[in-house]
Amino acid sequence: MLSPYGLDLIESCLTCKARTERLFCDLSGPALQAFEAIKYATAYPKGAVLFVEGQAPRGLFVLCKGRVKLSICATDGKTLIVKIAEPGEVLGLSATVSGKPYELTAETIDPCQVNFVKRDDFLRFLKEHSDACFKVAEQLSEKYNNACHEVRALGLSHSAGEKLAKLLLEWSSRNGESAKQEPRLKLALTHEEIAQMIGTSRETVTRLFADLKRRQVIQSKGSTLVIRNKSALRLMASNN
Amino acid sequence: MTAITVSGALLDYLESMESVIERSCLECVRRPDRLFCGLTQDALRDFDLLKSLAIYPRGTILLRQGQPARSVFVLCQGRAKLSVCSESGTQLTLRIANPGEVLGLSAALVGGFHEISAELLENAQVAVVKRKDLLEFLHQHRDACLQVVSRLSQDLHFAYDRVRSVGLGQTRRPRAAHVH
Repeated sequence: MLSPYGLDLIESCLTCKARTERLFCDLSGPALQAFEAIKYATAYPKGAVLFVEGQAPRGLFVLCKGRVKLSICATDGKTLIVKIAEPGEVLGLSATVSGKPYELTAETIDPCQVNFVKRDDFLRFLKEHSDACFKVAEQLSEKYNNACHEVRALGLSHSAGEKLAKLLLEWSSRNGESAKQEPRLKLALTHEEIAQMIGTSRETVTRLFADLKRRQVIQSKGSTLVIRNKSALRLMASNN
Repeated sequence: MTAITVSGALLDYLESMESVIERSCLECVRRPDRLFCGLTQDALRDFDLLKSLAIYPRGTILLRQGQPARSVFVLCQGRAKLSVCSESGTQLTLRIANPGEVLGLSAALVGGFHEISAELLENAQVAVVKRKDLLEFLHQHRDACLQVVSRLSQDLHFAYDRVRSVGLGQTRRPRAAHVH
């Protein structure tokens, strides 16, 4: 079925081909049937806000297609991107489980397909299906580890250059490119968004990229970035 | 009765604590106030068989960032400092863990390396459970798995609060809330 945003919607979790590769979705037959009955498949355009930090939890969102920006905001409007969520991730999970307000804001950065599940339905589902409960524990553990990693990256890096170098190396490692002599990565975020990921200004990110290009540490071809001097970038990342 | 492992320097401490040390979770009077420990009788009985009790002195590192997760530690008595560390050795405290908390849970569940270090701030009584035993226990006891999910949700809320305070220099709750 084609949606208004050009997404090829996955109508049923039971027939989803990507299910087995995704941590939460790879449920047992009975759990999957039960999940199918409580989920609402929805398509969102780019820029849609799924939930806002501080809002009472209505339920959770399983990201089927597209990417979602997870951020926290200061009272002065300063934004920090905590993570870019990829398909298969469950968003709003800890707030839905604990009943506390959402601690992040989730905004789509691509057209997305999302499966929404109401809080009460999800809590009942968890009580009835122990394999789903275990998968939720695994998802929460990954999110917790990621949050600790974020605290370390933000709190213990001394300069914006160090943070940017760490981010680029992390992206290249996630793409399976880190072993290559000259790793490549697709820059899917704007300089503004990269600045929000490392807690600095857009101007600083633009200046750092220009400096890295001038020193031939990186090279950009359209939206593809090539790391030409991995050791120089590693040196920057280790604050030496 | 569960045996207690104790380091030599702490024998005096053990003697003074003998009357308050709970060897069996089934008889622990503090259990109802603690999120993870509020298990059903069946689960508690099984947990009692899995755990080994240990008394550690102040300053003991229960888990170290970067090390593989082999066990989880339930703090029965005593507090621990949770921190992250840079490659150069600079330390940043995340928060202080209180009695009743389970340390090393997230790394044990995903089977990876510890993302944080935990150091005891005082002499402590700790229940130690091997990772393999914990995973089997959670698969067998749905209520325990639900407790773990609740525990991890709370941990995640604290972690995001710390991301906010470190990354944006702001807190949603008073600063004192991070250390209590």
